[in-house]
Amino acid sequence: MAGPKDAAKAGSAVADQSAMDIDAPASAGFSLDPETFKKIHPAEYHRRFLSQGVRADGRTLKKFRKAQISLGSISTANGSAMVRIGDTTVICGVKAEVTEPKPEAPKSGFIVPNLDLPPLCSPQYRPGPPPELAQTISEFMDQVIKSCDLLDTQTLCIEAGHAVWVLYIDIVCLNHGGNVADAAMIALIAALKHTRLPKARFYDVESTVRVTDERTMPLDLKRTPIPVTFGVFDNTILIADPTSEEEPHLSTQITFVLDAETHDSLGVLKPGGTALARDVLVGACKSARERALVVAEALSAAISATTAGPGRP
Amino acid sequence: MRPFHCSAALLSRSDGSVRFKSGSSAVLCSVFGPIEVKIRDEKLDKATVEVVFKCASGQSTTTERLYERIVRETLEASILTALHPRTLIRITLQVLTDDGGILSTALNAAILALVDAGIPLRSLPAAVTCMMDREGVLFLDPTTVEVEGSQSSHVFVFDDAGEGTLANVSTGAFTMDEYTNCYDQCLSAAATLQSLFRSSIEGKVVREYGPI
Repeated sequence: MAGPKDAAKAGSAVADQSAMDIDAPASAGFSLDPETFKKIHPAEYHRRFLSQGVRADGRTLKKFRKAQISLGSISTANGSAMVRIGDTTVICGVKAEVTEPKPEAPKSGFIVPNLDLPPLCSPQYRPGPPPELAQTISEFMDQVIKSCDLLDTQTLCIEAGHAVWVLYIDIVCLNHGGNVADAAMIALIAALKHTRLPKARFYDVESTVRVTDERTMPLDLKRTPIPVTFGVFDNTILIADPTSEEEPHLSTQITFVLDAETHDSLGVLKPGGTALARDVLVGACKSARERALVVAEALSAAISATTAGPGRP
Repeated sequence: MRPFHCSAALLSRSDGSVRFKSGSSAVLCSVFGPIEVKIRDEKLDKATVEVVFKCASGQSTTTERLYERIVRETLEASILTALHPRTLIRITLQVLTDDGGILSTALNAAILALVDAGIPLRSLPAAVTCMMDREGVLFLDPTTVEVEGSQSSHVFVFDDAGEGTLANVSTGAFTMDEYTNCYDQCLSAAATLQSLFRSSIEGKVVREYGPI
């Protein structure tokens, strides 16, 4: 497999040749080194690679970066996971608190996912209100969780009408290397699988809830939603798992959320951009299914690694 | 699909405005553009498209942000932004009543408002919502009550140049067969919508300017 340096050399060889073909006569003969070309013509830089069937980081068009999942990084949280996809790093913590249920649903608990894209993860984000990407990914994750019945919220009931669990799922992006949506959602499901709640009891007389120190109760998760994102370059070229260098130049992106256990799809998000034909959508979904199985395996491996030794990190 | 109704040129200050009603869901859309853009948002070779989505009541939440993003990215692909560089096209959507399918109602209102404003478009897209209930029955353009019994819910926006799907939001649990079935049903519903849009726009032009 060509590494980034080989690909850059290939790119620069192509760039040199083409730089001499454009406008400037042969006698002027200037050429740009790849780093400069990448800065001043970024879309053209990526186009040169894609015309050869590879991408700037050396991957083929349909190749995904490996998802590395580790559980239990945050010992104070009820559940936590860290996910790395290439350079993209996100960390997710699940915190369970007790709250009063809504009067119209006295036995239902709450699941509140939230993605944060802080200034430290990328130069494009400044301190202030959450960026639109963070809010839209949070909303999509919330819609997927609710509509696929990931967790029956009645299992979060402590005492009907008085006390229920609320699970605050906080996902923080530490490094934005592209495709934060996938990393965030994989971290979410990994952290939920890792989550353990303490046993809780409601004491009517004192109107309080007492919880045990040990956390032993896992969540009853009905599905394993795995996200898979593709980008489209120049309206026609479908690429898998875009990096942060490719993302600004994409015509559109599409995210499939697939259930690793059954053959169901749990979500599709194409938030606009150029049109995609029906067979492209169906074909992309098939590739997505293969990727979802690979990620699900990595997730099971991470879970077994954690449960294998209680003393280990 | 529920019977729909649209009325145009309602607001005197807007460049274009449309109230689109699908059954009991109604959205008012106002378009200003091309207008002056802040230097920070200026694009040298294209118009900047800005969408503001206001729900009927209550504070704006992440749901409205997701709708704004979907409407904006869909319309950016349809508007010929290269014809108006360094300008702003602001699309404001106000939900009047929400009885299900609010995203597709809003998109349809926005598309017609852009035509009313005279903003050049690549094509005339149309948005359709559908759902599958737990028995596997497909409902086109469901109401809020019908959506409560849904197993999966799908919003599709189709390009009328026959090029495919501009936007899609699907949630719930569904198989690929159900998805392609919803796709095909929504595609034919969108074709009907597009021909009705065209005839209503032609009617308006004939009334204002005489026969074509």
